[in-house]
Amino acid sequence: MKTVSYIEAITEALAEEMRRDERVFVMGEDVGLYGGVFKATKGLQPEFGPLRVLDTPISEELIVGAAVGAAAVGMRPVPEIQFSDFASCSFDPIVQQMAKLRYRSGGGWTCPMVLRICCGGEVGGGLYHSQTNEQWFFGTAGLVVVAPATPYDAKGLLKAAIRGDDPVVYLEHKRLYRWVRGEIPEDDYTVPLGNADIKRQGRTITIVCYQLMVHRALEAADILSREGIELEVIDLRTLLPWDREMVLSSVRKTGKALIVHESPKTGGVGGEIAATIMEEAFDDLDAPVARLAAPDVPPVPFAPPMEKFFMPDAAKIAARCRQLAAY
Amino acid sequence: MKIAPAPTATPAVPVDDQRNLYYALVKTRRFDERCRRLFKQGRFPGTYFSAVGQEATTVGPTYGLTMRDVITTSHREIGAAITKGMPLVAILRQIYARADSPDKGHSHPCHFGYPAVNLFTPASTVAAQTVVGTGMALAFKMRREPHVVLNFFGEGATARGAFHEALNFAGVHDLPIVFICENNLWAESVPAHLTSRIERFSDRAKAYGFPGVTVDGNDLLLTHTTAREAIVRARAGKGPTLIECLTYRWYGHSEIDPANYRDAQEVEYWTARDPVARFEQHLDSEGIMTRAEREALIARVDAEIEEAIQQAESSPFAPPEEALNDVYSFSPAETFPTRDAGSGARGIR
Repeated sequence: MKTVSYIEAITEALAEEMRRDERVFVMGEDVGLYGGVFKATKGLQPEFGPLRVLDTPISEELIVGAAVGAAAVGMRPVPEIQFSDFASCSFDPIVQQMAKLRYRSGGGWTCPMVLRICCGGEVGGGLYHSQTNEQWFFGTAGLVVVAPATPYDAKGLLKAAIRGDDPVVYLEHKRLYRWVRGEIPEDDYTVPLGNADIKRQGRTITIVCYQLMVHRALEAADILSREGIELEVIDLRTLLPWDREMVLSSVRKTGKALIVHESPKTGGVGGEIAATIMEEAFDDLDAPVARLAAPDVPPVPFAPPMEKFFMPDAAKIAARCRQLAAY
Repeated sequence: MKIAPAPTATPAVPVDDQRNLYYALVKTRRFDERCRRLFKQGRFPGTYFSAVGQEATTVGPTYGLTMRDVITTSHREIGAAITKGMPLVAILRQIYARADSPDKGHSHPCHFGYPAVNLFTPASTVAAQTVVGTGMALAFKMRREPHVVLNFFGEGATARGAFHEALNFAGVHDLPIVFICENNLWAESVPAHLTSRIERFSDRAKAYGFPGVTVDGNDLLLTHTTAREAIVRARAGKGPTLIECLTYRWYGHSEIDPANYRDAQEVEYWTARDPVARFEQHLDSEGIMTRAEREALIARVDAEIEEAIQQAESSPFAPPEEALNDVYSFSPAETFPTRDAGSGARGIR
């Protein structure tokens, strides 16, 4: 085992997959010469050359659409959208090409590609550099949406996504890039897509979360365990299709559920999970399913006190859990 | 709309190729007209997008491609599908949305795709295939393969941002792609002068640093030879070309559009420039095919078409549950079948 940061885990996954399979290539804004604005692709261009680590113009529709074309004729592209906020400019190829190609061709054409998108708040990025807009993709059948929280998962999921045959939207949280470090095996490994993971066992309340909120939930769990409230923290890891089995079995055990995400509540992933729990596990519930999310404003406000107010954190999670525990 | 003179003297096209080109042209025309009638008879749902009048624009450039070359299209390139080698019965099964259609009934009557001949299944968003085709050309360049991409779109597509992003990138990297703009003067009901300030859409190529040329899109030999030059250039690693083919669709945007936004004079001007009749005159005057030979060929084509219709109409619809398939590489019942041990608290700061 060795200890790496979340972003180092991503860079390692890219380099290893590019060495393993010459069909894998990287393209995007600033990914080559500069090594990426966050340095996720640092060192790749010197090793693999300017055509496999390709600097593109500021053309998000081209970045994603061209990757679809390359994937359709047998490559394994891993394009990058520098900030998830600008994924809006590539919405057409994401939802109309990536997601639909297999379906619209009856399986005749496929789209094995991984679109890396950098997202997330708590970085002082303001309205256009901080969103976690997983809900834009969550409603698009045909996409696999991945959102890792730890270096171990970030590397293993990215490698599995690159090796898989489906179009994957891989959401990296920029707050986690250097803040989170963790152990990963020295040897090659993958983490299967579609599986959630229990990051902490507990019996009082099931917390369903992903990315940064996993860490906030674990902090809340530390606080609450001193009060006799034991949180079971489920990290979804893959948002679409999400691991219903693991979530439902945990809720059947604890009887209470809180879903936490940093994107606004309305239209968020939490609504779907809450509804599914109500449909499938109503008889096992001891309290209404709860959601903790950002307020319904255009995310993320810039002024530091406003950003802090906007983001869910450990204190807010703990407070909501105390209410649930007392219900 | 005046037609530009040929950019260079028309290079010679071997007689055998001219006969094959005529076969593809006539097959496209007869089949397209037959499909219009089938729709009007209520024999398939949705609508149908006829390309009658535009055949030379798709047949000429497509003729002579290798199997590994890719064509990306929109919805009015039935001539490209036929010429690249998609069987008529496969086209009809798609139009009829039957079980053994290439798309299994998922998509759209005129979104022809056929992987066996590298005909890419299109999406409806205009200019989307321009971007995707550029990515295919990028893959060919990366793999040092000699294949080219032929990308077809209407003049309306040149107003899209996707068009700019694709041509700009293709130019930067000298990608092996030929962009073929079918300028039929109308973007659905909007005339070309309301979609662009410039008169020659091929002028746009200047902005991307590669050649652009406007040709008479109803001259079959000219579309063929112009594209052939561009394809040779692309295969040699010299980059893209934008070819504007001036042409005209005789009927509405689709069969549910009466096209009453056009005046009769304009339609008359263009139907008098029928690409099929013009090529027949050429074959006559050059003594390449006699009228009797042409009529025998047309009879053979018509028999092929009727046979394909019978086969397609006898195909069943897929079971409705087929709607659930081909979303992912795994089936909806299993979702992701493998489960790992989980990382647990590992990897936490």
